[in-house]
Amino acid sequence: MTEHVSMQEKNLQQVSAHQRIVKVAVQVLLYAFLFLMALTVLFPFYWMLISSVKTLAEYQLQIPTFFPRKIVFFNYVEAFQTANLGRLFLNTLYVGVVSTLLSLVITVLSAFAFARLEFKGKNALFAALLATMMIPGELFTITNYITVDTFGWMETFTALIVPFLVSVFYIYLLRQNFMQIPNELYLAAKVDGTSDLKYLWKVMIPLALPTLISITILKMMGAWNSYIWPRLVANKPEMRLITNGLRNAFTDANTQQTNIPVQMAAVAIVSFPLFLVFIFLRKYIMKGVSRSGIKG
Amino acid sequence: MKKTMTKLLSLVLAAMLMLSTLAFTGCQKAMPDFEMPEGGYDGSEVTITFYHTMGQSLQSVLNSAIEYFNTLYPNIHIEHTQIGGYDDVRNQISTELTAQRQPNIAYCYPDHVALYNVADAVVTLDQFISSTQEITLADGSTTILGLTQEQVDDFVDGYWNEGKSFGDGKMYALPLSKSTELLFYNKTFFTEHNLSVPTTWEEMEAVCRQIKEIDPTCIPLGYDSEANWFITLCQQYGSPYTSLDDSGHFLFDNQTNIDFVKELRTWHKDGLVTTQEIYGAYTSGLFTAQGEGEVKSYMSIGSSGGTVHQLPTQDGDGKYPFEVGIASIPQVNPEKPAAISQGPSLCIFQNENPQEVIASWLFMKFLTTDLAFQADFSMASGYVPVIESAKNDPFYENFLSKADGFDNLAALGASVCLAQKDAYFTSPAFNGSTVAREQVGALLQKCLTENWSDAELDAKIKETFRDAITECEYRS
Amino acid sequence: MVESKHKWKAWLYLSPAIVLLLIFTVWPIINTIRMSLLVDYSTIKETGGYAFDFGIKNFVRVLNYPKFLNCLKNTLLLCVLTVPLSTILALLIAVCLNAIKPLQRFLQTVFFLPYVTNSIAIGMVFSAMFNIIGNNIGSSTQLITTAGIINNIIGVFGVDPINWINAGSSYWANITVLVVYIVWDALPFKILVLLGGLQSINRQYYDAAKVDSTPRSRVFTKITVPLLSPMIAYVVITAFIGGFKEYSSIVGIFGDGMGPAGDKGRLNTMVGFIYDSLAASQEGLASAAALILFAIIFVVTMINLYVSKKKTHY
Repeated sequence: MTEHVSMQEKNLQQVSAHQRIVKVAVQVLLYAFLFLMALTVLFPFYWMLISSVKTLAEYQLQIPTFFPRKIVFFNYVEAFQTANLGRLFLNTLYVGVVSTLLSLVITVLSAFAFARLEFKGKNALFAALLATMMIPGELFTITNYITVDTFGWMETFTALIVPFLVSVFYIYLLRQNFMQIPNELYLAAKVDGTSDLKYLWKVMIPLALPTLISITILKMMGAWNSYIWPRLVANKPEMRLITNGLRNAFTDANTQQTNIPVQMAAVAIVSFPLFLVFIFLRKYIMKGVSRSGIKG
Repeated sequence: MKKTMTKLLSLVLAAMLMLSTLAFTGCQKAMPDFEMPEGGYDGSEVTITFYHTMGQSLQSVLNSAIEYFNTLYPNIHIEHTQIGGYDDVRNQISTELTAQRQPNIAYCYPDHVALYNVADAVVTLDQFISSTQEITLADGSTTILGLTQEQVDDFVDGYWNEGKSFGDGKMYALPLSKSTELLFYNKTFFTEHNLSVPTTWEEMEAVCRQIKEIDPTCIPLGYDSEANWFITLCQQYGSPYTSLDDSGHFLFDNQTNIDFVKELRTWHKDGLVTTQEIYGAYTSGLFTAQGEGEVKSYMSIGSSGGTVHQLPTQDGDGKYPFEVGIASIPQVNPEKPAAISQGPSLCIFQNENPQEVIASWLFMKFLTTDLAFQADFSMASGYVPVIESAKNDPFYENFLSKADGFDNLAALGASVCLAQKDAYFTSPAFNGSTVAREQVGALLQKCLTENWSDAELDAKIKETFRDAITECEYRS
Repeated sequence: MVESKHKWKAWLYLSPAIVLLLIFTVWPIINTIRMSLLVDYSTIKETGGYAFDFGIKNFVRVLNYPKFLNCLKNTLLLCVLTVPLSTILALLIAVCLNAIKPLQRFLQTVFFLPYVTNSIAIGMVFSAMFNIIGNNIGSSTQLITTAGIINNIIGVFGVDPINWINAGSSYWANITVLVVYIVWDALPFKILVLLGGLQSINRQYYDAAKVDSTPRSRVFTKITVPLLSPMIAYVVITAFIGGFKEYSSIVGIFGDGMGPAGDKGRLNTMVGFIYDSLAASQEGLASAAALILFAIIFVVTMINLYVSKKKTHY
């Protein structure tokens, strides 16, 4: 490492003043480009937030205001009041946590089998799994609805959790990650007589932690954003999940007019916890997602 | 190792086989057909599920109605749920029907009933309506299970007939609360320029042209719903739109309709009119616009349910910038007026327990015929009652008597609706009638906005009509 | 590689996933095939006790439907436009991010934000930004009441308001808005994957290039892109699969009508087509369309894999 740095320093000393100017100019351009893109990325969020604190009258102005003339928070109050928010949060959290835990166990075991074990038909099975990702899942709704009813799971959290426990995408993500861990480690552990599960727990899981955390986040996001399925199988007020509950605020069913500021407030409320989780676990999520591409 | 594999495989196959047979039988259970039990309602404990689209404020009206209902029928428990909008209710129930998990009662539009009827899921109401079976209420008084002739006559005819517009003469739904389209106009402006409120479409065009001369930067008329406009004009002209005849449901491709679409196209080209989709927002926004340099309209045709949205915002002193007037929509022939009727009806679904079905009927009868509920619901929603006697409810009477073009605009809207009760019509309902509705709305938008040259105009309009028919036929 | 007596273990580990997949994925697929082969199948009709003929008429009907080709065209066009554009843009941003030190983390976070949002909700925000409110837009009698925030912004640079998504807007204006939105939506994932890849490239390659004073553009095309090719391939393949399932972005901006006022359905896609059929209780047609879509995605993915096997360097 020190060798590396010193070589760079030597190189730096060699560059002429002219090159240094070019370097600065390039850096300026880089930052300009990145900031421009960052602004583009952020603008819709800004628009969402300012719309959520505008009065309906101001929102409907024919010439929109870039910054609200009067900041009001009653849209948030209204979005909150339309639903029993505490209950919604708790339900969502429960479904999110349980399904994440179960899903992680299933995903880890499957990914381990695909990454480390040899068995007949492995590649064919893996390809078949990947192929299922290409079918629009909405088509499954009706069949799954009948299945869930046959099992007697209607109006239970089970119906919200079990059908979505397996995600081929997560298995794929984790398999890619596991495959990066040198096989020698596994063989060495085998020689030492370490059991698969112990090896998995002691070596692979810690190494794949970023991916596992990003799966956790994605899974929680799923619980947060799911809408059509929960409404179908568990729509009693005491079972409702967050998006479903907040949806009431969107459109006045009698006049069919949408109060967009309230709707934006609802969207902000729904997104906020996700942002928080994201900010806190940023490092892991990024590592997890970015690693998925390696060894594609 | 092969052994385990084959074992696993056979296990998997067995599981799949089991599942498939389960799922198939799940589908093929026939809908139980309701038969009136000997003794009618036996007073047993039942829980009725009710799907609707009511927001918070209407739900509180409903809750107090249920409270009162329970003093009469303490053993009938009502569980009600808001399922998004009307389309959401339909989609939810049509999925639930496949597993026989449908609710007992639901908000419905005629085309929803037609869809549910594909699975024979809706209970016909005639046997209830005509029933003279006696029922003892919790307070000791007695009543009959069915409706008295007086109660039947009390329903506004147009609304009542909607429930039996399915071609077999049977009654499938009762109206709950209704809206129609109204013409809102800027009364202050009309008085100031000595304009008269149009009663026919010819007068409408003339008034629009007059207004355009007074204020060239305005769009004189905003019409919210393109589909309603098309369907209403069909009804007013007496030209075919759709039919219940299975050999050909879609009849709207005819010369009368092509002609009025062409006429409306010139209105739009001359800047006389806009619609919600074309304008990009509810046209009430245009009607209530007041700012300097803002584009305005002076007339707006929209749902009576949205009356309050047609009221401009007050200035700092609490004064309204103008007075709103409300009239019936223009007609082709004022002698034979026609105005579209919209808004929810109620239908009852088949259920294995006949007592649940009877209890559902009792609740439905209560909601549709109870004076206080009809009046309260109308005042809270901006819709109008479906029974004429609701006018006699003291609160509603008081509400109507205050009607004006400002704070009490809702009352003004309601009284215009009540006055034109003979004009209401609904178009035939069949499985696929919503597609027709969607298509004529899209067709009108297209014919109004496309930049066709005069030379190709006729051919293009004809083509658009034909395409709409093709689309309807494919999708039904 | 690992001794074969543990083969049963692999199946044991896989069993929970396989059982669940069989019930909630494989069985629905089988049912989809069944529904696609029953002529004019509809679950609600089946509940009503109707019997259906067996045959391939659903497929024939879907393929003969003029709008189906239109849906296919839109889907392909959006794929062809957004996949390269978002990949190139993501690559540029990732390379730039990799080349800076201060604020790198902050900017990384910003670029990842769109990943944690609900696409229909953000679509509504986009639609509000492009929406023009007015009448006869683009004709001599036009009246514009609200030009939309995007038109206000381009107005600052002296550009006339463009009719992006409203009645009378051009097909290409619509496509532009969709491309902007889809690319915006797709960027975070791609940036992250590519940045992760960049950071794992051994610095020695660059140092060697520096010693040889290779120009930047050559370093990019000869070192960065080849070494990043597995990640690029991955990003492109998943983008194509996602692109063929494009639907919610169009609903977000144009609503359920899948097109601007005056030309509804103009922007409909394959998945939108499937949804339309489902909404009209035509599960037979929906299933047939879904299987056709599956076949197309399958073929394209195979081509992608073949090309990437040839072009990527490991």
